[in-house]
Amino acid sequence: MIKLAVLLALSCCTALAFGHDLSADNAQFVKSLQGPAPGPFMYLGAKHMFTGYDHLLFLAAVIFFLYRPRDIFLYITLFTVGHSITLLLGVLANWQLSSQLVDAIIGLSIVYKAFENMNGFAALGRFKPDTRVAVMVFGLFHGLGLATKLQDYMASQDGRVINLLSFNIGVELGQVLALAVIFSLLLLWRSQASFAKHAFAVNSLLLCAGMVLFAHQFTGYLLL
Amino acid sequence: MTDTNPKRLLAACALATISAALILLLVVLPAEYGYDPLGSGEAMGLLGLSEQQNTALQVQTAPWKSDTFEFQLAPFESLEYKYRLEQGAAIIYSWQGNGAVLYEMHSEPDGAAPGFAQTFAKGRAEHRQGSYRAPFAGIHGWYWQNRSSTDIRIRLRSQGFYPYAIEFRGGHEIRREL
Repeated sequence: MIKLAVLLALSCCTALAFGHDLSADNAQFVKSLQGPAPGPFMYLGAKHMFTGYDHLLFLAAVIFFLYRPRDIFLYITLFTVGHSITLLLGVLANWQLSSQLVDAIIGLSIVYKAFENMNGFAALGRFKPDTRVAVMVFGLFHGLGLATKLQDYMASQDGRVINLLSFNIGVELGQVLALAVIFSLLLLWRSQASFAKHAFAVNSLLLCAGMVLFAHQFTGYLLL
Repeated sequence: MTDTNPKRLLAACALATISAALILLLVVLPAEYGYDPLGSGEAMGLLGLSEQQNTALQVQTAPWKSDTFEFQLAPFESLEYKYRLEQGAAIIYSWQGNGAVLYEMHSEPDGAAPGFAQTFAKGRAEHRQGSYRAPFAGIHGWYWQNRSSTDIRIRLRSQGFYPYAIEFRGGHEIRREL
């Protein structure tokens, strides 16, 4: 269990160190593209999701206590519908949003889900949000995050719809891959006694990571 | 997970918040925004991370200085004046004489053989100005010689990132702290 916590903390740190933006070489290449380029955009979507620690931490928090395939399917579908709506709308309608403000809210989504996993809302008493609604609404914000990133890299208007759809498909592929990894690790861990014992502590770590992400992005928003 | 003890929840949330604040203040803010309230960014060498290095902008770390140096050259007298610059350190300069002089702008890298210098510009002029970025650590500056039959006054002004200058005149070296 300590190993797992260390692993989680380490992955958090490396993710922070490498950052979440598309790497500079990728960016240069994508910006030089004119017209439809489904391959590169699909790859970028998948890469963005698979290496995007904010999305990954949220997904991990969402499926943390989900056992039945039906539930997993339901929540992931809600999240997917949520982020696809705002990704498509945001790019097509060309919404100009602060990516740092959006990323700050994405950080809050992790804080929310980790707190809920810690049974925080039950302890608070009266207020008990509907998790399904929350996952869907935070999905909308994750989609806005995807949209602001993609807008930065779509230099050409030519082939915009195809590139957008390719990016969206790539995002879902990356999400399936990421979920497969996260879920396998969770399954492995759940089969051990340490899961029940340390689930609370790991969610505290998630809570902490969400706070760091929020504060990091929100500071950037206030500064720029 | 069933019921969570409220005290345990509070403690966990407090711990998570404090940890997040520490991570933020110690590492994230210094590395991402160059804001270093606890000095940890400086200690870990994180402060440069938030600055983009490119050809248009070079962030300088040495203290910013400015210098004005005025001198007179008798006929056929010469003088050298050089700034100590680390690699990448920059200056902007302007010098103006009340008559034309021979000049040469050159630099001596650290550890170079005596008398070795890389020359960047030479000629005859009353006035020159420009910007210079040291391609290597060493001393970087000018040689002026008065080839006229009257005294010439020269005034050099510069701003940059140098700790001191050295004046070479008549076989003497005078170090000027700036």
